[in-house]
Amino acid sequence: MKTKITYHLKKIVVIFFLLTPNSLNADFFEDITSQIFDNPKRLSYGVSVTDVNQDGNFDFVVTGFGYLNLALSHENGKLINIVNQKKFSDEFRRTIGVAACDIDKDGFEEIYFLNTDTYSGTKKYSDRLLDIKDNNYFDLFELEKNKENLNLTAGRSVVCVDRKGDGEYGIYVANYGGPTRFYEIENELIKDKAQKLNLDNITGGRAVVSGHILTERADIFAANERGENFLFKNNNGNFEDVAFDYRLDDAMQNGRGTALSDIYYRGRLDILSGNWLGYHRAWVLENNEFKDIGNKDFDEPSRIRTIISADFDNDGYDEVFMNNIAEPNKLFRIKDGGKFEQINFQVGLEARGYGTGAAVADIDNDGILELLVSHGESKEQPLSLYKAKVNPKNKYLRIKPLNKYGAPARGATVTLTSNLRKHSKTIDAGSGYLCQMEPVAHYGIRENEKNMKIQVRWTNGKTETFSVNELNKTITLKQK
Amino acid sequence: MKFIKNVIKLSVILILVLSFSSITNSSEKNYYKDLITDWSRIFPDKNRNAAGPKFFKYIIDKDITYKDFVEYNKLYCAVSGSLIDPNSEPDFIFVNEKETKKKICGSYYKCCVPCSCDIMKYSEVQQMKYEFKDGVKKFFVFTIKNPCDKIDFPTRVNKNYFCDGKKINKKQVYDLNGRIVIGLLHNGKSCKKDEIDFVKTHNITGRFCEFRNNTPLENLEAGMGDIFIKLAR
Repeated sequence: MKTKITYHLKKIVVIFFLLTPNSLNADFFEDITSQIFDNPKRLSYGVSVTDVNQDGNFDFVVTGFGYLNLALSHENGKLINIVNQKKFSDEFRRTIGVAACDIDKDGFEEIYFLNTDTYSGTKKYSDRLLDIKDNNYFDLFELEKNKENLNLTAGRSVVCVDRKGDGEYGIYVANYGGPTRFYEIENELIKDKAQKLNLDNITGGRAVVSGHILTERADIFAANERGENFLFKNNNGNFEDVAFDYRLDDAMQNGRGTALSDIYYRGRLDILSGNWLGYHRAWVLENNEFKDIGNKDFDEPSRIRTIISADFDNDGYDEVFMNNIAEPNKLFRIKDGGKFEQINFQVGLEARGYGTGAAVADIDNDGILELLVSHGESKEQPLSLYKAKVNPKNKYLRIKPLNKYGAPARGATVTLTSNLRKHSKTIDAGSGYLCQMEPVAHYGIRENEKNMKIQVRWTNGKTETFSVNELNKTITLKQK
Repeated sequence: MKFIKNVIKLSVILILVLSFSSITNSSEKNYYKDLITDWSRIFPDKNRNAAGPKFFKYIIDKDITYKDFVEYNKLYCAVSGSLIDPNSEPDFIFVNEKETKKKICGSYYKCCVPCSCDIMKYSEVQQMKYEFKDGVKKFFVFTIKNPCDKIDFPTRVNKNYFCDGKKINKKQVYDLNGRIVIGLLHNGKSCKKDEIDFVKTHNITGRFCEFRNNTPLENLEAGMGDIFIKLAR
C-alpha cells in the first residue's frame, strides 16, 4: 500500500512540473545592468532615445535631478556616457523631462531638456533646447533673440509634434501650475505658439503623447493631475480639446504615464494611461468614444510612473511594462481581442526600486529591445538595464521611417499587415512619463505569420506601402 | 486506490486553473470605477455640492440588477454628493417615514459624520417600487421636499440640477410623489425599540447629532455645513 502511495505521489509531482506554466519557472527579463559603465547611485528622471553623436546609432539620454544629464552610447558591449559638455550635463538645473526632434529641419534632432526646480508654478531656471555645432552643444534659449520666450513654469513631460505635417517639429511642454507651452521656430526665432493654437491651458500637466489618435495629423493626448485630461484634435495645425466628447477627460483621476498602443491589433493607435494610485486605463476607440477595456489586474491602482507598450520578447504580441515607484513593477502581454495577460516575473520587478522613468531601444542592434529604467525622486539609485529572454527561433522586423529632411519621423504611424494581424505602432514622439522611446517600429514576428506588408502613415497623413521580403533586419524608409 | 486517482485528477484540474488564472475577464464589475469614470458625465459643471440626487438618478437610469443598484448606492454620500471609499462602513440610523411618521431604521453610507445627523434631521424616507433587470423590488429612499421655490436656495448648489423653474427637474433628479430622492436607505425596515435606543445612545447618531442639530446654522462648520440644510429644510 505504502509503495503504491509513493508511486502515485511521484506521478503527481511529475505532472505538476509538466503542466505548470513556463511563466512560473522562467523569468521574462535578464538583468544586463552590468553593461552600464560607471553606474553610481543618483537621482534620475526622464529618458529619451536619440542619436546624440550623429553616428547613425541611437543612444539613451538620461536626465539628472541635481546630477549630470547623460548620453549613454553602446560601445564594445558597454553603455558609456559620451557627452561631458556643461550645457548638456547641466548638473544644477534639475532636469526631469526630455524629448528630441528635428525642429530646424536639418535632419538631426535637437534635445529639449525640461528643468524643474519647484513642484508647481514659477521656477528659477528655464528649460534648455540644445542644438549642436562643430561638436559643441549650445542652448537655443540662451540666444539673446530667444530670451523673451523662456519657459519659467514648473513642468513635467515634453512631446514633439509635427502639427502641420511638413517635418517642422514643435515642442509641447506639459507645465504644472502655469500655461502649457508650444515652441516652434519661426523666422529663426523660437516662439511660444500655445495661445495661438488653443493649447495654453493651465493644469497639473504630467504626461503627453502625440500621434495619429483621431485624425491623419498629429493629435495630442495629455494626462493631467488635479484637472481633466486633454485630447487635442488637430484641425489643419490648430487644436481643439475634445477629451470630454471622447470620454478621455478622466476628471477624478490623476494622470501619470501614457503611451499609444494598438490594443486590438486592428491597425489604429489607442491609448494606455496610468493614473497615480487610481485606475489605469486601456482606452480603445469605439463609436466615437474611448472605452476602457483593461481587466482588474491591469486596472489595479498603483504608484505608476512610466508605461511602455513594446514587444520585448519578439513573439509578435506587445507587452505593457508598468513602472511603479517604491512598489513592484508590472508586466502584461496584450493578447488578441485586447486581453491583458499578466506576466509573472522577478528580474525587473524592482520591488524596492524608485522608478522615475524608462525607455526602450535596440541599443546594441541585435534585434531585441533593451529596457533602461531610471530611478530617483526620494532615493538615489543606479540605473538598471534589462533585456527579454527571447526564444532564438523568434524573428523580428524593425521599421525606421525618416522624414523628407532625413530626421526620425516622430509621430508617424507604421502598420504591419499579415495573415494574423493589422498592427500599428507609433514612431514615438514622447511617451511614458517624462520619456521618449526609440523612433523605430519594432515588431516580433508571430508563429506561422506570412504575407507581411508595411504601411507608413507619415505626419502629413499620406500613406506608403512596402512589401516585406526579409526579416531580422531594420528597414529604413525615407519619405518622398 | 480510488482516492489516489481522485487526488491526481484534482491536482491536474488545479494546475490547469492556475495556468489560466492570469487572464481575467474584463467584464467583472467595479462599481466604484464606474462612478469615477462617469463622474464628469454626472456633474458636467464639476459642482457636486449636495448633489446626491444626481448620483441616484444616474444609477437608477442604468440597466442594472437590484444588487448592482444597492452596491452603487453605497458609494456616494446622499447629503454632500461626495464619492465614498468602497471599504467604508455605514452608520445605523433611523429616519421618519414621510406618510406615517414612523421611524424606519437602516444603514446610511456617509462621507463624514455630520452627514448622518443632517440626513436624520432634514430628510424623510419613502417606500419606492421599481423594476430592475431581475424584477420588481421595494426599498426605502431618502427624500427632501421640492426646494425650487426657495428664496434662499443655496448659491453653491447648481439649481439647474434640481429645478426646472419651480418644478423638480425630472431629467436630472428622481421625483417621487413631488419630492426629490437623494439616496438609498440600505436594509430599511420599521425600527424596533432596541434599535431606536441604539441609535439614540450611539456616540455619533446620539450624542454628536444632538449637539450638531442644536447648533445654530450660522455656527455649523463641519460637513457640508449649511448647504444641504438650506436645500432640505
